[in-house]
This record gives sequence, C-alpha cells and structure tokens, in this order.
Amino acid sequence: MADSAKYQNRIELLQGTLDMLVLHALLRGPVHGYAIAQVIRSRSGEVLTVETGSLYPALHRLERQRWVKSEWKLTESKQRAKYYQLTVLGKKQLTTDHQRWLQLVRAIGAVMEPEAQP
Amino acid sequence: MKIWRWDSAKESLSEELEFHLKMAIAERVARGEEPAQARAAALREFGNLSLIKDVTRARWGGLGLENLLHDIHHALRQLRRAPAFTATALLTLAFGIGANLGVFQLLYAVILADLPVPHPQEVVVVHVARSPFDHDWEISYPAYQRLRASTPDIPLIATAYAGDANVEILNHAPVKAFCRLVSSNYFSGLGVTPAAGRLFVEADEQQHGEWPAVLRYDFARSTFGSAQQAVGQHMLLNGQAFVVIGVAHRRFFGDVKGYPPALWIPLALQSTGKMGVGWDSLGPGHNVDLDKPWYNQPGIFWLTLMARIPSARRAAVLAHWDQVFRGDREVMTEATADPAAKAALLRVRSEAVPFNSGQSGMRKKFTAPLTLLMALSGSIFLVGCLNLANLQLARLHARAHELGMRMALGASRGRLLRQIVLEDALLVVAGSALAFVLGRAASGILVRWASSRNAGITLDLHPNLALVALGAGLMLLSLLCFSILPAMVFIRNGAVQTAGSRSKVAGIAQTASQRLRSNLLLGAQVSLSLLLSTMSGCFAATLAHWETVDVGMDREHVLIVRPELDGPRYADHSKQLPAFYQQIQERLQALPGVRSAAVGMCAGIHCGWITALYAHGRAGLTDAQVHGQEDHVGLGFFATLGIPIVRGRDFASSDTDQTQAVAIINRAFAHQLFGDADPIGQWVGYEPAPNDKKFLIVGEVADARVNGAKDDPPPVVYMSINQHPAPVNSIRVRAIGDPGQLSQSVRRALHEVDPSMDIDEIVPLATDLDGDLGTEKLLARLAGIYASLTLLLVGIGFYGVMSSRATRRKNEFGIRLALGATRHRIQMLVVGQTVRILLAGIVPGAILSILAVRAASHFLYGSVSTNSLAIIAASLVLLFAGSIATLIPAQRAALADPLETLRSE
Repeated sequence: MADSAKYQNRIELLQGTLDMLVLHALLRGPVHGYAIAQVIRSRSGEVLTVETGSLYPALHRLERQRWVKSEWKLTESKQRAKYYQLTVLGKKQLTTDHQRWLQLVRAIGAVMEPEAQP
Repeated sequence: MKIWRWDSAKESLSEELEFHLKMAIAERVARGEEPAQARAAALREFGNLSLIKDVTRARWGGLGLENLLHDIHHALRQLRRAPAFTATALLTLAFGIGANLGVFQLLYAVILADLPVPHPQEVVVVHVARSPFDHDWEISYPAYQRLRASTPDIPLIATAYAGDANVEILNHAPVKAFCRLVSSNYFSGLGVTPAAGRLFVEADEQQHGEWPAVLRYDFARSTFGSAQQAVGQHMLLNGQAFVVIGVAHRRFFGDVKGYPPALWIPLALQSTGKMGVGWDSLGPGHNVDLDKPWYNQPGIFWLTLMARIPSARRAAVLAHWDQVFRGDREVMTEATADPAAKAALLRVRSEAVPFNSGQSGMRKKFTAPLTLLMALSGSIFLVGCLNLANLQLARLHARAHELGMRMALGASRGRLLRQIVLEDALLVVAGSALAFVLGRAASGILVRWASSRNAGITLDLHPNLALVALGAGLMLLSLLCFSILPAMVFIRNGAVQTAGSRSKVAGIAQTASQRLRSNLLLGAQVSLSLLLSTMSGCFAATLAHWETVDVGMDREHVLIVRPELDGPRYADHSKQLPAFYQQIQERLQALPGVRSAAVGMCAGIHCGWITALYAHGRAGLTDAQVHGQEDHVGLGFFATLGIPIVRGRDFASSDTDQTQAVAIINRAFAHQLFGDADPIGQWVGYEPAPNDKKFLIVGEVADARVNGAKDDPPPVVYMSINQHPAPVNSIRVRAIGDPGQLSQSVRRALHEVDPSMDIDEIVPLATDLDGDLGTEKLLARLAGIYASLTLLLVGIGFYGVMSSRATRRKNEFGIRLALGATRHRIQMLVVGQTVRILLAGIVPGAILSILAVRAASHFLYGSVSTNSLAIIAASLVLLFAGSIATLIPAQRAALADPLETLRSE
C-alpha cells in the first residue's frame, strides 16, 4: 500500500512536465515506450531519467485522454512492441503545455534575475 | 465479455512491460555487460513489476469496478463452497422478509390504502340516522332526494347493497356476480375515471330500453378479455337486459373495502323487483309495501350515503342536512314504543366519517389481527437475523485461516470487510428477490385464508411504494444484522491475525465474551421462538374451540339445501306452498340415511331478520327487550336441527292460516320479555298494543347460535311457515351419518318432487359455521407456520453453534477421554450447554408470551391462565427440539479420539 502511494506521488509531481516531455518525444513519429525513455534521457544529456513506474502509467493515462494512440507493431528486430503516436488533440495539448512551460521559465527567470539597483 | 476485455488488456500490459525489460537488458549486453548481470541491473532499475502494473492499470479508470467484479466472482465461489449455509440463509431471508411483505401488503390494502381518487380525504361516509331494527346507517329514498336537493353543490351519493345477481352473457357460462346499486353521481362525485367507455350520468337514472351497467376492471378483463372489449356488450342480470356503458379505473375497487362489486347498476333497478336489495323498514302495520317500488316510500330504509365535502364546509353542510332531515327522523321513531328509544333517535346528529376510518367493517375486523400478524412476522424476521448472525460468526471462525492468510498477504481490513459483506449482500439480494415473489404469493393466500366461506374478500394487491420501501428497509436491516455487525466484530477482535496457521485455528479457544455473545443470540432466538410457538398454540386451541363449541344445534349431521324459489311460479301460488313443503319433507324423509327434513325461511346462519315483539299486557318494555330475530319454519324444524323443545309444543299440521296464529320463542327471547315466568299461553304481536294480529306462544325452545359459532345465541321467535306461506330459502336435512354424502341423493329427490327447482348450493351446517372463522383460521395457520419455521431455525442455530464449538473443543474432549471421562459424560457436556441456553431463553420468552397472550386476549378463547398451558407445552417442544439438534454434534464430540489428541499436543 505504502509503496504504491510513493509511486503515485512521484507521478503527481512530475505530471505536467512528464506529459509534455512524452508528447514531445512522439513528435517525430510513432515510437515504443522504451524508446521514449531513451529519447528523453539522451536529449537531456543523461540528466532526466524517466522511471518505468512513471512512464507507463503516464502513457496509459495519455491514451485514455486521447492525446496519444497506440498499436502493436514489429520492431526492426522483428519483435512485437506497442507503438505510441500523437493524436491531433495531443499535438494541441503539446502546444499549450509548451507555451505554459515557456511562460513559467520566463517568469521564474525574471524572479531569479538580480534586480537593478535603484 | 467485460471480464474478457479486462483480461486481454492485462496481458497486453504485461507484454509491453516485458518488452521494455528485454530492450533494457539487450542494451546493457550490447554495452558489454554480462547477460546475468545485465538482467539483474535492468530489473533493479525497473522496480516492482506488479506494482507498476497496478498503478498503470489504475490509470485506465474503473479499477473499482474491476475489484468489484473480482469480489463478486470470489463471493459466488465462496457461497457455492458452502451450500448448506447459502441455502439456509437464502430460505431464512426469503421467509423472513417474504412473510413481512405478504402481511404488510394486506395491512396496507386494509388499513392504509385510500380511495384511488383525487383528494380522497374529502370523501366521507355520511351518517344521518340509524335504521330502527338493523341499526344500520340507512335512510329512505324520499329523504335522500330531499337532502341531495338541499345542497346542490355538494355531491351526495347514495348506494345500496344488492347481493349477487345471475349474469348471463352470450357464449359465456352463467355466473353469479356481486352488484351494487348506486346513484348517478356515484363516479363523478367520488372522482373515479373510466378505464374504458363512460361512467354514469344523470340521464342513466331513467331507463331507456336496456339498463346501463359499469363493470369493475378485473371483472371486465376476466369476462371479456379487456376493458375496451367489454364496452357495448349486452347481458342479462337476473333476467333484465343490460348494456355495458363503461369500465371503472383499474384501481377502483368500490367504496366497501374487501368486498368490491363486479358491476355497478343504477338505483332505479330496485323498482323492477329483480334485485335482492338489503333494507330495513318501520315494520308491519306502518303503510310499508315491500312489493311496490321503494322510491316514494319514506318507511323503507335502504340507502347508505357518501359525499365529497371540503373539510372547511363540513360542519355547515351537516347542520343544514340535520334541519332538512328532521321530518324523516320523526318517521323513524314510529318504529318504537319506548320513549327513551324515541328520544335517542331524535337526538342523533348527522356526522361525516372519513372514508378510511376505523369504522368501516373490514378495517374494524382486521386491524387488530393484522397488526398482531405484523408483529409476529417482525419476530420471525428477527429470529432469522439472529440465527444468521450466529451462523455467520461460526462461519467466520471456520474461515479464520483463509482470512488471516489474506490479511497477511496485504489485504486491508476494509477490503476483507467489503468481501464478506459483499458475499452476504449477494445473499440478501437473492433472498429478497425470492421474498418479493413469496410475499406476493403469500398475500394472495392470506386473503384466501382470511376470507370466510360466507364472504370472500378481494383486495387491491398491487405493489406500492410503501411495500418496496419496507422490502428495502428489511434488506438493509438484515444485511446489517447478519453480516456487517458480525464481520466488524470479528475483524476488530483481531481473531484473524492470530489465525496464522491451521493448527493455531484449531487451538483458538473461544473467549468468554465470544461465547457469551453467541449464547445471547441463541437465547434471544429461543425467547422469540417460544413466543411464536405459544401464540400458535393459543390460536390453534381457539380455532379448535370454535370449530367444536356446542352451538345448540346438531352441528355434525345437518345438511343445508339452498333452493331458488324466488320465481313467480312459487311466489304467486303461496296457497299451494304448504302442500309443496309437505311433499318435499316426505320425499326426503323416505331417503335412506335421512332422519328428518324441514324447510325454513332463513337461508342458514347470519339470517339477520331483526324484529320487535310486544307482549300483551306488559307495558313499558324497552327497545332492547322487544328486539330479537325472527324465522318462519316448517314442521319438524326443531327436530331436524336438533334444537330441543323445552316447554309447550312444536308446530303441528293443525296450525294453518285458518287457525289461531301461533309462535314459538327461544329461551333468550322468553327471558327478555317475561323474565322467569312461563311464556306458554302469552300473547305477543308486532305492535305496541297488539290488536289486529296476535300470536299465541305455544312453545319454548332452547337457545342456539344461529348467528355463528362465535356469537351468543340471539333471542329468536319462530312462526309457522304454513300460517304465513311464502317461498323459503332453505331446506334442512338431518342425516344419520355424514351429511355431506347425502347431497347427491337429496338433489335427485328434490328434482323428483320439482324437476325445475334451481338449487343454489348444498352444504353441511358445520361448513356453514366454520365459514365464519376466517380470522381464526388466518391467525392459527400463519402462527403455526411461523412457529414451525422458528423451531427449525432454532434447531439449525443450535446445530451450527454446537458443531463448531465441539470441533473447537475436540482436543479438550480427547484429553478428558484420555483422563477417564466416559463418552456419555462428554455428550452430556455438550447437551447440557444447550439445555442451559434453552432454559435461559425460555424464562424471558415466557414473560414475553404472557404479555402477548394478554394483548391478544381479544382473539383468544379462554383465560390467560389456560393459555399459559400453551407456554409450558411450547417450552417442552423447544427443549426437545433444541436437544435433538445438539445430539449429532454431541455424538461427534464423544467420538473424539484421545490418541489423536495426544499425538497432536
């Protein structure tokens, strides 16, 4: 019981940003869950590791919200894998999320800038 | 289907996560790690697989539903695994709830249901005056017309009892149908709407060719298929041509609860003389002619009144009617010579009685018995719940191992509680579904039981909101009693945690408080069961008493034949009737097995021919002294019925319409009129000063319960049918053996005398008398069923509890046996425990029973102390049943193997 609560808390914490990162990772076309984690890790310069315990719940939730859709396909190495793909709704969501993120970064940046002395 | 989708989705998720893991391992291997190490590292990085699955699945939503489906699956499996418990619980709930629903349905229909019309509280029964002999609230037609005309804006409705009529319809077998005469404003005044066609309008009061009739919905449906099809159909009612103009609303059962008419017909039908209308009149010598139409005779009282009056106007309207009615009240006083009775008649003031008040016959008769039955039904429900609670506790103990295991594996208390309660909820839902079916059937059967043979009851038994609410309430209550509370107690006590292993379970000693709790539950069951058994015994004894009480007549050997001699063939030739009766008597007495036969005006018990008799030379007799009943009988009537002649003589063939009119009175009437003096030779008459018609009393007979076994013998005066020739309503035959076996030969013999004689029915006197005992039969049968059910429940309860205790104490018994106790002693140990609980339950049960017997003394024959015998009998039965139920577990305990115990210890 306690363990599952811990996982859930982490998801809550990351939710907004993780969703954005996952949606962004799908921009270039359908990919499976493992690849999404890899993309995020490598593009963040190995800073952000998305744990499986956060990734899959997030993916399934996004699918339920119809921001992504999934289908089973074969990989290059002929293995069955579940590929996720952005939907139109998902793209819109990504744009809004991105806008809000930029706003937030700007706002936080403005707060953290050393103020000009009077 | 649903479950399959969930399962496939779950598989798909597993495959997805496995793929992820494979990729992670493959990548590590590609980077040059050892495959085994790579796998371990990947797994570590991955985290708790099943938890991730759970959390991911939670994202799908509807996990609660999945759990519920799972729990239901599990619950069904558990219930299937314990078929004995499941069956006991289902049946207990079905009977416990069903009995309550069945009785409540009746209670609702009789006591609570209002007229199914708009603003039913405005509809009132109007009491204006009591008729002089029958003391019914009936008035004459001219009086009704005056009252109705005096308040044109208030619908004043008149109805009259019309009994059964012969209904003949083309292509249908002729049937008897109960009719009611009603004024044309009956339906419009009450606010009843038609289900088809139209209802009465003012123009229907005059006849234009065929008479109009309105049918009751059920009658229309059963006769013509549907309400629509009934409209426009033609029929003959006692030979009169009728057309069906409409069918009343399906819920409208008439204005007399319990006795709905099949047809409503206009009041004007009375003038045809074809309907047997109920009446009271001023009596002979008051310018009353029953053979002429009654609409212009102020001395015949036959109309009961209803009205729709807004409550604000009630007092003013009633006061107004009192003024209009003053003259009619004076007419009514002519019926009595007693100044006190005259003054009392004049003092009566009109009143409006709410339609649904306790004064209506059905409600008056059944409110108390039904309330009592409801209380008994409540008790059986309670016994059922207590029993199930106890079984449930025993069952939870038996499942402690399983539950403990599940708790150890991480199931929360809430989840366990939910699981247990869900199992029982399934039981309750299934049991309640059965209960609704059972309750519906039961209310139908109860109505049949409550109906006496002499008056069948019909009630509107449609399910209603109150019934559904009661059902739902009982469901919740039973769930709370036998599931939620026991499960909470069990889980809170931590019995589950200690039950880690099976060996421990066997070793768990019941704590003292647990034992006390189950003993209390058993004891309470015993108390309630004793109450029900006692009541059942008392009711059975009461029924048996009324079925065998001395009625002053030869109850077992008399056959009553009810011929139809109404036709003009008989009525218009009354001079020939005495010879006709003699022919009948001689023919019947020639039959083998017949002792004697005689004719009588009354059709059987409940004749209700009320009369007033004045004794010559005894002025100042009060109304109460002169009132009695009358019957006109043929020769040999008293010998046929077995009523002994105490003084004087019987009627003789020499008493004819040419000789002095004579009368025979019974002891009760003689006592009323003459005290202890000899009545023989006294003169009596219908008038206060007997002048034109005097009767000489020639005989005195013993009292008989001619109004039914339960009613005291009324004062009766008998006249000779040969001195007042008229068509009779019954022929009585006294048999040597069983009267029922004579009916065929009697019927044949009567047809030999008169081939065209219609015979209504032939019934033994005993059947006629027992036909009155509807309430007693209802109470005795239902209480009997309840008592047997609770006995069974108590038996099951003791068996269940003692079995589980014996199992738990197996080691102890083994040790006792090893130490030299005899098997008999072990048995006694178990049975002794049962007996102690039984005794502890019997004491409060006996107190409860005494209180109940006191409260119900109205329905019981015999004193509280005689009925207390029933308590003792019931206690013995309970002791016996409880001990028998414990014998098997006791036997099993006594067979405990000491060696096995020693080995396991």
